Amino acid sequence: MQIGMSSRAVLWAGFGSLLGLMVLVAVSANRALNRIEESSRQIRRGFLERDDLLDRLRANLYRSSIDLRDYLLHADPQLAERRRAEIQHTEQEVAAGLRQYRKDAPPQETAAVDELQRDVDIYFSLVEPVLTWDADTRSAQGADYLRTQIFPRRQQLLQISDRIRAMDAQQLASGETTVAAVFTSFRREVVITTLFTTLFGLALAFFAIGRVQALEGESDTRYREVVRAREELHQLSARLVSAQEEERRNLSRELHDEIGQSMSALLVELGNLGSALPPENAALQERLRAVKRLAENNVVVLRNLSLLLRPSMLDDLGLVPALKWQAREVARRSGIKVKVDAEDVPDHLPDEYRTCIYRVVQEALHNATRHSKATHVRVTVTHEQSRVCVRIQDDGVGFQASQEKGMGILGMEERVRHLGGSFQIDSGSGHGAAISMQLPLSAAPEAVATL
Amino acid sequence: MSQIRIALADDHAVMRTGLRLVLERQADFSVVGEASDGREAVALVQRETPDVLVMDIGMPNLNGIEAARQVGAAAPQVAVVILSMHSDESYVLRALKAGARGYLLKESAESDLIAAIRAVHAGKAFFSPAVSRMLVEDYVRQLQDREIEDSYELLTTREREILQLVAEGKSNKEVAAILNLSLYTIETHRGNLMEKLGLHTVPELILYAVRKGVIS
Repeated sequence: MQIGMSSRAVLWAGFGSLLGLMVLVAVSANRALNRIEESSRQIRRGFLERDDLLDRLRANLYRSSIDLRDYLLHADPQLAERRRAEIQHTEQEVAAGLRQYRKDAPPQETAAVDELQRDVDIYFSLVEPVLTWDADTRSAQGADYLRTQIFPRRQQLLQISDRIRAMDAQQLASGETTVAAVFTSFRREVVITTLFTTLFGLALAFFAIGRVQALEGESDTRYREVVRAREELHQLSARLVSAQEEERRNLSRELHDEIGQSMSALLVELGNLGSALPPENAALQERLRAVKRLAENNVVVLRNLSLLLRPSMLDDLGLVPALKWQAREVARRSGIKVKVDAEDVPDHLPDEYRTCIYRVVQEALHNATRHSKATHVRVTVTHEQSRVCVRIQDDGVGFQASQEKGMGILGMEERVRHLGGSFQIDSGSGHGAAISMQLPLSAAPEAVATL
Repeated sequence: MSQIRIALADDHAVMRTGLRLVLERQADFSVVGEASDGREAVALVQRETPDVLVMDIGMPNLNGIEAARQVGAAAPQVAVVILSMHSDESYVLRALKAGARGYLLKESAESDLIAAIRAVHAGKAFFSPAVSRMLVEDYVRQLQDREIEDSYELLTTREREILQLVAEGKSNKEVAAILNLSLYTIETHRGNLMEKLGLHTVPELILYAVRKGVIS
């Protein structure tokens, strides 16, 4: 079915993408968290490294100025030489530290680092000439030079490095802000995705519920249709049965009352004709007798046909005479001994009850003669206050009711059910077969036109 | 020779005409009237009081069985012969219970009617040979089914005599006169034989007698 196929496809696709979305959300959330963690760690590490570089820079500057003071204020040439070497070493370290810092520094700090570089260059350019001074010059001008040139410059340098540190701290703060912003956007992303997933799931659920309801409704409709169709089928089959019965009754009556009567009259007239013929005309007499035999045979055929269609006793005399006739007929034809026990059944059962019981018994007897190898059949009809019970029991081989549910048995069931009765077959193989039916007598029994 | 006065009732005019022809060939028969349904038949019998009424079993307005019952009530001296196409015993029994003395199949009416009329006029019962044969056959089969010996053997000679006379339509008083016995003895014998045979009514007794070939 087209609708079923497409909605199944939608449900597959819907649930599939819902699950896919959930997996995607989990994966991307995990990745975003990793990213945030990584960048947060990088920011912190960069800050710490630069802070460390700045500290070392400051320490080197301090040390170089202390070395320089020792160098300028002490006359000992050995010590001065050592200090000078240390100052030169420190200068190299500072230069290396600055290079390193410049490499790591964020672009906002470039100007400040340039300024620091310049001041460091100036500072060391102030320091370098001093290193060539001899001991006298140092003792003469050293203290003054320190106080007027070096210390202010050193102070300035320290201030610049403080500024850089402040910028770094700011950088850290802004890095944390960035991380927070990333977090916020991630959270928004998660919220949006969750919202979207939820809405999608809701839509899917509504769609699925809708489809299920539609299908339920459809199956309900189908079920009612099936029930109605079955009901109609029952009614149709009941109508067919009653139409068939009516037709048989009419045919039987027509054959019996019209053609049969005419044939009888014909026979009488043939007899009269025979009496009128001269007795000496033997040939003519013989031909007349042949015609009469033919007509007599026809009457017999006619009567049998009429009884076969519907026995007149059923309408003329009632159920019990018809059943007894049927029993005698079966006994005559098949040799099976059929006993009918139906003494307390009123003749004036409603027509359809009589017909139903008669036809069921007829079919049961027919089955018994054909399949059962029975030698005795007992037909019992009992009339209780509100129902008629019929039982046909034979002593044959029985049959598997579930397997051999032929048209005959179906027809019996159908007839009984149409009158609101119940129908049972009790037939374990080897124990004979018993067919029972019970018909409720709801309406007042109508009188039957009895002869 | 006294005439036997006969009335005919059948809804088929052709049948009536044919039967009339059959009857009129007998010098001592006279057809006193015809009726085409049960009501007319009853009226005809009341008007003409024939000796014998030959009547179809199935007629409009009032069927033959019902008409026979009414005739029996209104004019019991009229012997009724039923014409029928049904050979089954249930119809025969029904006709006998309604008071008919003869039961003829229509197909053999032409050949048996004369004998039937003479028999019932003489106070005897009459059945078409085909009917008698069928009744006997069915009875034999029933006996075999029940596997009991012939109940007729149970009767004494006296009881068999009484059976035949009663079946032939004699009243207890007539039987007593014929056998030169008291009415009381006859009644006792009759009660006994009915009990032995499991019979309850005179029609059943007649049917039994036919089956046994006691009467024909």
